[in-house]
Parts: sequence; structure tokens; C-alpha cells
Amino acid sequence: MLNTAEILSQIAARPKNFSLSHDLYCDPGVYQTDLEEIWYKEWIFAIPTCDIPKTGNHATLQVGDYPIVIVRGGDGVIRAFHNVCRHRGQRLCPKQNGSSPKLVCPYHQWTYDLDGKLLFARDMGADFDPSKFSLKPVHVRTNGGLVYICLADNPPEFDRFGGFLDDYVSVSDVTNSKVAFSSTIIEQGNWKLVIENNRECYHCGGSHPSLCRSYSDNPLMTVMEGPNAASPEILEHWARCDAAGIPSRFVNQDDMQWRFARVPLLNNAESFTMSTKSAVNKLMGRMPWKDAGSLMLYHFPSSWNHFLPDHAIVFRLLPISPTQTEVTSKWLVHKDAVEGTDYDLQKLTEVWINTNDEDRRVVEENQKGILSPAYEPGPYSPHQEEGVIHFVDWYCRKIQDRLAPRPAMAAE
Amino acid sequence: MASPAKAFGEAPWKDSELLECAMVVPETTDTATFTFRAPSGAWFDYKPGQFITLDLPVPGGNVQRTYTISSSPSRPLSISVTIKAQPGSTGGRWMLDHLKPGMQIKAYGPSGIFHNQCQTGKKYLFISAGSGITPVMSMTTWAWDSGEMPDIVFVHAARTPSDLIFRQRLEGMADRVPGLQLHFTVEQQDPFQSWHGYRGRLNQIMLGIMASDYLEREVYCCGPEPFMQAVRDMLVALGYDMENYHQESFGAPVRTEAEAPVLDDVVPDESVSAEIVFAASGITAKCNETDTVLAVARANGLNIPSGCTFGLCGTCKIKKNSGEVHMVHNGGISDEDIEDGYILACCSHPMGAISVEV
Repeated sequence: MLNTAEILSQIAARPKNFSLSHDLYCDPGVYQTDLEEIWYKEWIFAIPTCDIPKTGNHATLQVGDYPIVIVRGGDGVIRAFHNVCRHRGQRLCPKQNGSSPKLVCPYHQWTYDLDGKLLFARDMGADFDPSKFSLKPVHVRTNGGLVYICLADNPPEFDRFGGFLDDYVSVSDVTNSKVAFSSTIIEQGNWKLVIENNRECYHCGGSHPSLCRSYSDNPLMTVMEGPNAASPEILEHWARCDAAGIPSRFVNQDDMQWRFARVPLLNNAESFTMSTKSAVNKLMGRMPWKDAGSLMLYHFPSSWNHFLPDHAIVFRLLPISPTQTEVTSKWLVHKDAVEGTDYDLQKLTEVWINTNDEDRRVVEENQKGILSPAYEPGPYSPHQEEGVIHFVDWYCRKIQDRLAPRPAMAAE
Repeated sequence: MASPAKAFGEAPWKDSELLECAMVVPETTDTATFTFRAPSGAWFDYKPGQFITLDLPVPGGNVQRTYTISSSPSRPLSISVTIKAQPGSTGGRWMLDHLKPGMQIKAYGPSGIFHNQCQTGKKYLFISAGSGITPVMSMTTWAWDSGEMPDIVFVHAARTPSDLIFRQRLEGMADRVPGLQLHFTVEQQDPFQSWHGYRGRLNQIMLGIMASDYLEREVYCCGPEPFMQAVRDMLVALGYDMENYHQESFGAPVRTEAEAPVLDDVVPDESVSAEIVFAASGITAKCNETDTVLAVARANGLNIPSGCTFGLCGTCKIKKNSGEVHMVHNGGISDEDIEDGYILACCSHPMGAISVEV
């Protein structure tokens, strides 16, 4: 199990634009460091707001060792709490989704209001002060219909990203959508391999026959230099979107932790379907055309997303162990769209159910190979895997900064 | 300078004289107090809690609307009503939009049986919601003006803190009279305003904290009917003697005893027999209406998981197959679940024969 110094030295010894070492993908000490320095400190995508549309609806997730519950209060406000009873520590809400007027511990029925206040605890004596035993809150931000949480005492800056969520994602009016389908799969691979796999389409031609009907694997379709520099098709698409008032141009965090851009699909495809036509009759939000492409949004370490005119897919990954990752995908459609009338669930979901499973197999084989003592880091393609390089560089810099903060320069 | 005694006439106002609007004071968003005087200088004689009927010249013809009086007869120079424009209202909306000082309108009254000139030594519990606060405000002002120490627990429910009508006036009185205790509960907070009062629908637990001696207090309640119904259910379930309960609907004030609605609330009666079929267990149990479903289950060797036993935690939620129950819960079950036929066994009383899925 690697210690801090060993982790830092492996990161420092990394050849530029090469994949990470065996230990950085497999070692339990690295995994623990990833949890403590990344997952417990960064903003993490949790759920779309439409996952808990009504008072008392709640959703749970497990971030490393932390069970979290996110709940909508009677005032409509979404709050997050540590999903741990203040009595003897029972996990309060055991299910992935639930609904109840109060949060009630199943162990001894300590009863909390939806804002986390302890309302009732039986037979605790006259000196018991319930106000001292509220649920512990977790930081929450809700922008563009997406809920992000952060476990840090002092979360990193969110406003710039939140502003772009409001601008770019609100076009799809996720607030007024519903979850048409949700899937959770476990991939037997390190969380970083799951993201790396997502950040390139070098593998798409060989692995994703159904996705490649509508999604271009041309690397120029995802590589952009800025709001005014991209391939001619993308620039043309952006001009069309600009004219319709749909924010589309490339924006990113300086260190590439997140990126927004709307890109056209292949040959005017409308949606990620086998027919390449829309899967849902009712378009989301204020999308003017069926072929408006996909608003692609990723946010390290936990999420990538596609917002299409007819539906959206939000993806959340959470690490489970050094070599296991949970991937949850939710398909969102207009809240008034009726299954069987406005959309066929199978047609809506089949491409990404296939693609998720294909990616799972790729990641699992990748992990198996890296577990071999014979594995050594290999070079990323400068043309195809720029997105992977962005991620790995972001990851290494975060770990370095947090484990060994650089001294402030006296005279910069 | 005229002496105050000469500021008003010898005789009280009679409804043969038009009322002149003298002041319009905004209270909260969409709520204002309209103060009227008699042009002749007549003074106003009524009982705190009574109402007046105004003849309002709305477009399309006059309408008569009754409003409980928010001023107190201890201040007889003028009379005030406080109007909140309810959704879809014509009269209230017209007053807020068009009634201005100097205008004269026809009025009838005052009238009504919901009144109280708080007696010294007696204890009161005023419970109101929304603009149902007006008659109890009148009673409270009367008690204050009497110069004697009142004993009033004043409970008021509003949507948000900024919807609390008369908040400052009440706080001003309560700051100086230990016997006036204010308790406000709101459904929602105002953004960027801290709120330290109660939140959520009024329930038995709140009531117990607001006035632990509620059983000894005379209750005056005013608000929308569903609110008053909930208050009655709470009080009945808590064993309150309903002989001491008085209510007025701000929707339809009551002129005479004969007009007073008969409160046909469901009140479980110990002498009435009931029956519970526990369908999954194949047990049929005879019981009384006053027994809870949970108690009958236990007495028959069945165990329904439970926690608080007063309708808060929701642990004892079960499906009811048929029959009616009287349930007074404290927020432990959602309206959707109730619609879907679920009940909380701990606070549900069988009314006749019922069947549950236990």
C-alpha cells in the first residue's frame, strides 16, 4: 500500500502523455488518497432535481465511506445530509429512492423533519435537547436542474460552473423533466479508467456499433480550442445555435475539470437511437430543432452528460473500491411525455444501455491487463486521446497540490 | 380646540347612515386595513369579534360582503376591516383596487355571535389562520384596552412570515403584557430572512408546546374551514371539552345561533362498537370507536411495527382495504398516501367495520 511520498514520487516520475502506473490504478493506498483528496473535496454530481420532484422525495448515494441522502423539503428546497442517524449511527434511508413525510430511522424511529431537525425521539429523558441532534448537512448546489454536493467543510468555488449550468443546461429545462429510466451498473475497474474510457472515442469504432450510428468518432468533433476555434461543421452548428439563442460554444475550466459544448450528431442524426431519429415526440425545454445535436458536459471526477433535443442522459460514477466503480445513468424526458405514446422506452434506452455495457467490458479488460505485473504505461494518441490527457493531467495536479502544496512564491 | 368628548356624537352609528372611508393602510402584500367613520360623528357600538356587511359597488352590480371587524369597540371613533384578496374574490379585490378615502358606502350591522369581551381571570387560546386573525385581533385589542392583565395564548398560522397580518402591533402589545403569548407558524420561510418561529402545518405537538394548559383554555378559532376542521380534530383527539370551543369562518360569518353550522365532526364514541378485520392474519376483532387500530392489533396478538404512537414518525403505516377511520396525525403520512388508502395505525380509530391489510 503506497504512502503519500510514494504516491507523489510515482506521479512525478510519470512520462508526459503516458498512462498512469500500475499502482496509481490498483493500489489501495492510492484509492484511499483519491477518496480523501478528490472525492471528499470536489463537487460531485448527485442527481437531477427531477429525481425528487415532490416534498418528501429523497435519493441516496454512497460517496466512498459517506452515505448521503438528498431530500426535497416542504418549502421545495433541496437539501443534503449525512445519511446517518444521530442516535446510534444507523443509516437513515436505506433505499436508492424513497418518499416519506419525515425522515425516520428504521432502528428506533428517531424522526427528523425534512430540513434535518430532530422532531421526536422516544423516552430520551427530560434533559434531552433534540436541537443538538439535527442531521449533519452536506453542501448542495442546484443549477440548471442538476444537483451537486460537496463533502468538504469549505467547498471549492462553484459559481462559474454553476453559471454555465444555468446558461447551457437550462435550455433543456431539466427542472420540468422526469426520469424515464435509470440504470446502475458496477464496472470491475478503477474509477480513473472509467473516465479515461469516456474521454476518448479512439475505441468507438471497434466497440460501439450502435452509438456510432449517430455519434461521430472523428476526434475533431470533440477537440475544440475555444469558442471560435473548432472544425468547420462545429463552427457552422454554433452559428446556427447562436442565431436561435442556444448557448453552444466551447467553455471550459482552465484546468479542464469541466467543459460544455454543443456538437452536431453524425449526418444530422436527431438522437442516440438505432434509427438516428428522435426517440421522444415532445422535445425538451426550448429546443427548436430535432437535430440540435448534443450538449456535452463533463465534470471531473463524477459525471458526463448528453443533453439532446428529445431527451437527456446524465451519468454519475462513484468509486466503490480500487478496482470497482458504480455507474448510474438516468434518461430524462419532458415531464409530460407519456411512455408508450410519446416514446418507446426500449427505443429510448437501447443505444446507451448497449454502450454502457460495451464500455464496462472495455474497462474491465483494461483493468485486468493493468493488474498484470507485465503492464507498463503506454503513450496516449495526441490526435485521439487529448481528452484523456486532460483528465490525467488534472488528476495528477490535484493530487500533487493537495498532498504537497507548492509553497507560495515570495515575489511572483 | 374641540374637546375629545365632542369629537363624536351622542348616539351610536346606525346602518341607515353611509360609512365614509377615512384611511387605507397596507398590512401585507394584498392585504389592507380600511378604516371608516360616520360623517355625522356617530360612534361605533359592537362586540369584539363581530362582523359588518359592506355593500360594494363592483362593476356589474352591487355585492354584499361580510367582514369581521379588525378594530376594537374600545376605540369607538372609527371602525376597521382588514381585507386580504383571496384568489377569485370580487369584493375584496374591488376594495383593494378602488376603495379610497372620501368614498362613502352602504353598510349593515354590526352583527354576529362570535364575540368575546375577555374576562379577567379567564384563560383564552386564540387560533387563527390567514385573515381569520381579524376577530381575535379585535378581542386582543379589547383585552389590552381594558387595562387588566389578559391571559391569552395567541396562535396564528400564515403562509410566510411576510404574510403575518398585525405582526408588529401584536408584538408591541406582547412586549408589554406578559399574559399575551404569541406563537406564529408558517408554511414557508421568506428568502434571505431568518425565521425563528414554527414551521409547517399546526399540529398537536406544536399546540402542546405553545399552550401546555390548552385543556383549561377557552378556544376561539377563525380561519378557512379545513383549518378549523383540523383544529377541531386535534382538540377532540387531545380530549378537549368542545363546549369551550368557539369558531367563526372568515368565509361566511354567522349572524345568529340558528345560522351557526352544526359541527358534525367525526368524534369517536366509546359506547359505539366497531370491528376490525385483519385480512392477512384472518383475525376479526370487535372493539370500540375510541380504540386505535394499533391497540386492537396488539390486543389480538398482532404486531404492527410502530414508533412514536402519535402520528409523527409514520412507522405504523398500513393499507386499509375498506371502511372508514378517523385519523388525526401529526405529519407522519403524506396526502398522496392517504388518497391511496394508507393509514397510520397508531392514530386511526375505526368508524364502524373496517378491514386492513395486516
